[in-house]
Amino acid sequence: MAIPQITSGPPAPQPGVSRRTLLKGSAATVVAMGAAALPSACAAIEQPVHGTSSGPLRKGKVIDCHAHLTHRSRATWEADDRKLIEAADKLGIDQLCCSTLTPHRPATADGFRECNRWTADGMRRFPGRVLGYCYVNPGYGREALEEVRRCVGDRGFIGIKLYNEYTCTEPVVFPIVELATELGVPILHHASHSHYFVEDQPRMSDGGHLAELARRYAEAMLICAHISGGGDWEWTIKALRHAPNVLLDTSGSVTDEGTVEMAAAVVGVDRLLFGCDSSMTAGVGKIRGANLSAQDKEKILSENMMKLLRRRKP
Amino acid sequence: MIVDVNAYLGHFAFRRLRHNTAASLLALMDSKRIDKAVVSSASAITYRNAQAGNEEMAEEVRGHSDRLIPFAVINPFYAGWQDDLKACHEDFGMAGLRLYPKWHNYSLSSPCCRELVSAAAERGLVISIPIRVEDNRERSWLLNVPDVPLEEIVELVKAHPKARFILLNGIGYTGCPLGRKDNGLPSNYAMELSRLSAVLANELGQLITNLGAERVMFGTGMPFNYPDPALVKLEVLDASEADKEKIRSQNAMTWLRL
Repeated sequence: MAIPQITSGPPAPQPGVSRRTLLKGSAATVVAMGAAALPSACAAIEQPVHGTSSGPLRKGKVIDCHAHLTHRSRATWEADDRKLIEAADKLGIDQLCCSTLTPHRPATADGFRECNRWTADGMRRFPGRVLGYCYVNPGYGREALEEVRRCVGDRGFIGIKLYNEYTCTEPVVFPIVELATELGVPILHHASHSHYFVEDQPRMSDGGHLAELARRYAEAMLICAHISGGGDWEWTIKALRHAPNVLLDTSGSVTDEGTVEMAAAVVGVDRLLFGCDSSMTAGVGKIRGANLSAQDKEKILSENMMKLLRRRKP
Repeated sequence: MIVDVNAYLGHFAFRRLRHNTAASLLALMDSKRIDKAVVSSASAITYRNAQAGNEEMAEEVRGHSDRLIPFAVINPFYAGWQDDLKACHEDFGMAGLRLYPKWHNYSLSSPCCRELVSAAAERGLVISIPIRVEDNRERSWLLNVPDVPLEEIVELVKAHPKARFILLNGIGYTGCPLGRKDNGLPSNYAMELSRLSAVLANELGQLITNLGAERVMFGTGMPFNYPDPALVKLEVLDASEADKEKIRSQNAMTWLRL
């Protein structure tokens, strides 16, 4: 099944923060307020404006690589999903790569299948805006593998989401990684590194685990989730330096100055993916504030993710 | 005009900060069109003798009083704090305080703290309280400093109706009396927006609805934080331009008598 396109449905509303301002920095804010002209260093770089795209994975869009739809045990799920799209509209985000996670963890097979049905429904409700990750608990072996094949093969999901049911270096995870490699889709893996034991997530993966997994499966496309919501980000970035097939997702609520620049300097800008993980203004603001070239920001905002998605096998 | 009520100079013990000198912070402010910033010493958070940090900062901001508004970090359990308060106010011209009850290991309800708050109020100083310095998940192996519980803030603002408080780096106000309408609390506190959501849950919008735009102030947390996320919040906030102007600068200028 083809990757969903931004061709159906009504045109997206004009964003509150356009792609142009994402790329040029927050001084744009003040221009909008009627202040003096920008210094040349902050000059805008002409880019296609959000809402005008017409094809799949075209150059110039903004892709949030880490988003979630709301589990339907929450009474407000429908309104919450709509708010996510509205927030993306305001912030100039074209597409959101979403999974639905269950609050009842570790997820059962029925639990993750239900989540994925809802993600598929979200892809239908927000065509072209929501791309789906298939969420599974690797502990369910054959059922997890069948669910990945169903979601990626039949439903057009773009990748796999793994959470904290297992540390990613446990052998039970390996068949999922092998299947992802066979299908040519990425795995977004929940991760964090804190300098204390996180009691409620005893099998948490960190950048070191992902680097180890990446060495074992050099063809796998792994995404280390939310470096800005995963504890000591300096540790995580350094741990992933020599793991070229692990990309780092910039999402998370933490807005520590210098995070994106350090990640770019240590692992290279080609390995960074823009994400929010529901911290929308934090996600956008970090990229806008990062002292990187517009070309580098283009890579982070969309090009790197598009490269990953193009590796999908027929 | 943009006034940032949440900025810092100096070093932080657990992470390298960039843009942490007066010159480099001003350059960052220029690039973001932030006109003025309230600054305190990041070093004083972990110095045993916080006054040394205040002295460093007073030296650093000299000649920049048109844009950098210095606040003092005072630990009311440290010897000589009364002398430090007097020096910061009278000699260094500092317009307010920043308190770190969890980093400096005291309770906001302790008699020493209450004495400091009364003394500051008597001098007309604004008292700002960072609810946190950084995200607890990234903390060093050396220490575990919790956020300041909002319940303790509730008791503090009640006990000192004549004092004026600015709460920094906070979130979850609408889940406690501080952010609720008709909460019976004195209107002697304002909340800075750097961690508040402006979309999805939109706590920022809820606070404006519940308490009025007069009770919210713009702040970034720079150079700990990128200033841009806070600026983006103002851009996407669903509020009138008049309310945004209050948040952007007017409230801070009124409180700080700028």
